[in-house]
Amino acid sequence: MMRGGVRGRGGPRMGRGGYKMKTFVPRLPFDIYLCEPAFQRAKPAPDETPLQQALLKRNTDLSPSPTEQTAVLNLVTKIATVLDTLIVTPGSFDACQIEEHRQVGSYKKGTMRTNHNVADVVVILKTLPTREAVEALGNQVTEELRQQEPADVLVMAMLPNDRGFEISNSEATVRVLVTTVHQNLRKLDPELHLDQKILQSHLAAIRHSRWFEENAHHSSIKVLIRLLRDLKNRFEGFEPLSPWMLDLLAHYAVMNNPSRQAMSVHQAYRRCLQLLAAGLFLPGSAGIADPCEGGNIRVHTAMTLEQQDQVCLTAQTLLRALSHGGYKQVIGLEGNASIATDMTVWEGIVVSPLEKAYEKPPERKEGEPGDELADDDDMDMADN
Amino acid sequence: MAANNYFGFTHGGTQYGAAAAAAAGAAAYQATPAAGYAAVGHTPAAAATYAAQRATTAYEAAAAYQPAAATSYAATASSAPTYDYSYTRVQTYDNAAKTAAFYPQPTSTSFSAAADPAFQAKSSTTYTAGYQNAAARPAGQASKTYNYPAAGAAQSYTYPNQAAAAATANKNYSGYDAALYNAATLYVQQQAHTAPKGAGTWKASRPGVGAAIGQKPKLKQPPKPQQLHYCDVCKISCAGPQTYREHLEGQKHKKKESAQKQTAGTTPNAPRGGNSLRCELCDVTCTGSDAYAAHIRGAKHQKVVKLHTKLGKPIPSTEPVVVPGKSTTTTAKTGAAATTAVTKTTEVTKVVATPKINFVGGTKLTTTTPTASAAAAGTAVKEEPKEAAAAAAAPAAATAAAPAVARDDTVAVAAAALGEKEVEPVGQEYIEEIKNEEGKVVSFNCKLCECRFNDPNAKEMHMKGRRHRLQYKKKVNPELIVEVKPSLRQRKLQEEKLRRQQMREEMWRRREESAMDDEERIYWEERRRYEEEMEYFEWCRRGAGRGMPPFGPMGPMGPRFGPIPPMLRRPDSADDRHVMAKHSEIYPKDEELNAIQKIVSNSEKALKMVSDDIAEADAPKKDDGTATESKDEDGKELPRTLKGVMRVGVLAKGLLLQGDADVQLVVLCAEKPTRTLLERVANLMPKHLATVTPDEKYALKLSVEQASLIITNQTEPQINVTVTLTSPLMRDGAADEPTASKDPPDVLDKQKCLEALAALRHAKWFQARASGVQSCVIVIRIMRELCQRVPTWTPLNTWALELLVERVVASAGFPLAPGDALRRVLEAIASGLLLPGTPGLIDPCEKEPVDTLSGLTAQEREDITASAQHALRLMAFRQVHKILGMDALPPPKFNRGKFNRKRRRDNSCSGENGDSEGGDGKKDKKEDESEAAKADAK
Repeated sequence: MMRGGVRGRGGPRMGRGGYKMKTFVPRLPFDIYLCEPAFQRAKPAPDETPLQQALLKRNTDLSPSPTEQTAVLNLVTKIATVLDTLIVTPGSFDACQIEEHRQVGSYKKGTMRTNHNVADVVVILKTLPTREAVEALGNQVTEELRQQEPADVLVMAMLPNDRGFEISNSEATVRVLVTTVHQNLRKLDPELHLDQKILQSHLAAIRHSRWFEENAHHSSIKVLIRLLRDLKNRFEGFEPLSPWMLDLLAHYAVMNNPSRQAMSVHQAYRRCLQLLAAGLFLPGSAGIADPCEGGNIRVHTAMTLEQQDQVCLTAQTLLRALSHGGYKQVIGLEGNASIATDMTVWEGIVVSPLEKAYEKPPERKEGEPGDELADDDDMDMADN
Repeated sequence: MAANNYFGFTHGGTQYGAAAAAAAGAAAYQATPAAGYAAVGHTPAAAATYAAQRATTAYEAAAAYQPAAATSYAATASSAPTYDYSYTRVQTYDNAAKTAAFYPQPTSTSFSAAADPAFQAKSSTTYTAGYQNAAARPAGQASKTYNYPAAGAAQSYTYPNQAAAAATANKNYSGYDAALYNAATLYVQQQAHTAPKGAGTWKASRPGVGAAIGQKPKLKQPPKPQQLHYCDVCKISCAGPQTYREHLEGQKHKKKESAQKQTAGTTPNAPRGGNSLRCELCDVTCTGSDAYAAHIRGAKHQKVVKLHTKLGKPIPSTEPVVVPGKSTTTTAKTGAAATTAVTKTTEVTKVVATPKINFVGGTKLTTTTPTASAAAAGTAVKEEPKEAAAAAAAPAAATAAAPAVARDDTVAVAAAALGEKEVEPVGQEYIEEIKNEEGKVVSFNCKLCECRFNDPNAKEMHMKGRRHRLQYKKKVNPELIVEVKPSLRQRKLQEEKLRRQQMREEMWRRREESAMDDEERIYWEERRRYEEEMEYFEWCRRGAGRGMPPFGPMGPMGPRFGPIPPMLRRPDSADDRHVMAKHSEIYPKDEELNAIQKIVSNSEKALKMVSDDIAEADAPKKDDGTATESKDEDGKELPRTLKGVMRVGVLAKGLLLQGDADVQLVVLCAEKPTRTLLERVANLMPKHLATVTPDEKYALKLSVEQASLIITNQTEPQINVTVTLTSPLMRDGAADEPTASKDPPDVLDKQKCLEALAALRHAKWFQARASGVQSCVIVIRIMRELCQRVPTWTPLNTWALELLVERVVASAGFPLAPGDALRRVLEAIASGLLLPGTPGLIDPCEKEPVDTLSGLTAQEREDITASAQHALRLMAFRQVHKILGMDALPPPKFNRGKFNRKRRRDNSCSGENGDSEGGDGKKDKKEDESEAAKADAK
């Protein structure tokens, strides 16, 4: 996946007839960490300890407190128990049948942030997910929770877009995202059932969690994900990046180097910005292939062209600010998000924001970029 | 049989002309003749049909109105006493009698419910038999027909046996049939003694019926004083004779009547596949136990029950009669099987007295000619088992669950009768209750099936219903088991599928065969070719001197070598095209190149001569200090002061751009170049330049501070050749400070000399490294132009640029197309390669690690980075022309028309490129097309 671009554009063309179709192999953008031998250090590496310290501090600030974790854990456990019971002994509850339930998202991955005590659970139904069934399930679960602990104040609410429902007590919230087994997906009727895209995204969230467990358990990655999510939340330009994209980006930045050893967080943090600035998520780039989807779907194609431009632009401006010593503002220890949009001066150097490069195609409206959308986005929405 | 039928039929047609006419007249009464017969289209057929059907009606009427009615029929019947009719009638009657034998009470009611369907089926089959016989038999045999009454009577006795026989035949078929059989035999035993009585009754009424056959059925009986006027067809009573007559002539009644007749043609209202339940009393068929229960509960049924109670007619139990869908056909098959057996026996033995099966045939044998009898018996018998089974089925079902059952259990019973499982209602939550203003539930709405109903019962039924369950399965729980009910269509589809599969197999088989053929053919083809070739070779070998054969194969491998398709390499993506277009724009023109080439080579020649001169002049004497060193270096060679001239800079690297007028040459000196040496060279140059090119005028300018002399041509385009004197010793000296003091006093500017040396190294490096990297030179040219054009980029010097581009492009690890290479360079700068904190760009041509980029200030770096970042995004979004300072190119035109394939290729490329394609590509495509159209128009 990583070096998908190696075969590149020029390569396969060699020795072929002129009439042959050339398969388009998108190229990875320039990444200095992948071609370090070509760029020997001409000057000693600058001292990056302040950046490192700042990042670690920020990470500590962002991590949830033990109480928060316990609160979420408790609620998740309770709901899991109820769901298990429903699977084993459905009893009188026949609105739907549950195949299984799984924890997904930031809670599962250990990338939760403080003040955001939301855990996600995906429930796979054996039956088809009608809105009524989802609501009935929500009510049933809430009912049973109440029976277990009458003292708890529980609130059940349906999630927007019919994703499922959420149950919250005073300290934590658990979102129960509903989906159905694969073979049911094609039987869906948009009139009656939940949106297929959403159901698929929930299934994808399960795959993502699984992938994450297997591949991205390194704590550098987790720290980096938390930092990136924070970055995304603070800078409007990064809004289009989905949590899944951030996960993959963090994993890529930490792990994808010639030595295959995890890089330190500050390097990886800078590298993320460098990659984005170099257009990793721009059209024509190989980007990051989604490891959980077949057919080499590039994760960034879930964004519109305009969003891709916006993300790249923001990263470029922040990278320059970071390079000129503005790390505190970038990381979020000081200042505000205006550094991405306003002209700033760092140590006498003027860093000016960039303009958008993307132009709406003049005559046709949205058509093509719209097609690009929608593969996969918005998965696990753990933190958005 | 069909053919026989047909033959007999035509005969019949001529023979029964009169009858046909009569029938035609009578046919006016018939709403619709049975479809099967209508298809035949001949009048006799119509007549026959009519007769058969009428027989039913007449019979029913007779049954209902008893002797009195019969007599009246007799009166009118005489008008058309053709033997045909009578024969048919008798057949019909026989069957009627047979049916009668099954019924405990030989009253009309016994026919009303259960017997009806069976009876009707019989009448139709009878028709076939009768008709055939009639057709086959000469007219003269009419008299024999009158034997029938007796035969009919006889039959009525034997029929139970026959039914039993039929049932026996079925015994091993299914449990159901077995049950039927048991029930039937039981029943037969019970009723054995009543049968004669029934038969007797029928004998009595028979003449009437027989008479009635030929006559208009609507000549209704004079109403017999009766309390109730009961219509058996419609199961209603009328208040008086008047109403009754009106009813009989009413549309509703006729409709029912004809419907009944129609169904008589087929098995009694068998549903399409699957079983259904039947209320005998009302003659209503329900598709399910729920529907049946609903019917039993319904007002209509209650009314009929009430009426029947009032009339004192027997009320069949509420248990439903199962109308088997498929089992009938199996019975029919077994019947058919039995038939052959029967036919054989009749033919061989012709024993009349044999009980059981042969009896039927036997009676017929008495009346028909031996030839006809075989067919007749065959047909008759063939049909009878079916009838028997059908007839047996009704009472069997009716009596099977004899114990009185409460009404509430109807559903269960009905379900049991149908062999259908009681289903759990599902999907209650999808049924909305719709309440009126008072909050009373007025109706229900099923969201799954999108239907409404008002009755809570209906709701229950709906929830158990097939349709609802199917919807539930489809929309909620795909694992819900809904019993499959293969509809006729599905069955047909299934058959169709099978058929197609068969055909496909057939096709494959055939194809395989033909493939074999092909292989064989190819083999022989090859063989032939091989032989030809061998012959050809042989011929060549033998007649080597005789030249080529005038014709024949073009040589062994001739046709296989096509002309190698030209390797059309062209830039692919839009980026590539733009870059290449820009490149060709900035690439110097031929005249410029020629001019440069000329002046440079002239300068070089002149310098060579100067070097020779100086060498000659200096030969005897030796310079102090460096002489030993130069000896060391040059070995035995004559130590020259000017050791050689080399091209450096853009000239050496081939990076000349259009408008570039300055090229550099470096003269390497054996010792540190001095002002004296420079002046000496400058003085000698004009002379030698004149010798080299007498017709060209060159201006010469000495620039001591630049350590060079500048040669300028006088013609356009003006070219300046800067010749710099330097020596490798300068560099050594730089490294070794103390020796510098020994330098001659007028040594040239050290920095300039070092730069010239560096330029020399750069040129060497470039030739060794950069020129080997694909697209690298192109991109450097493009970037050079960019640096010249855009002020932001100007601080980036040429060497740094070359190095940067080379490193970046080479680090890709594989060849890049020009567009990609440019993009990669932009990516590298955009990712902050120039920014502080990055490794910098080490200069490979220096001994110490030197950052080539050190000349850039932080602000310059920042600006270049920002510019590159924007440029990168422009490029990603298909606006590379903005970076290059040119107009957007229309997409290539040459791939239109001739090579469609290429066009596709291009599109797919850009399509995949894609994301970037936005609208631009589309727009361009359109333009392209319109242009192509214009071109075509021309």
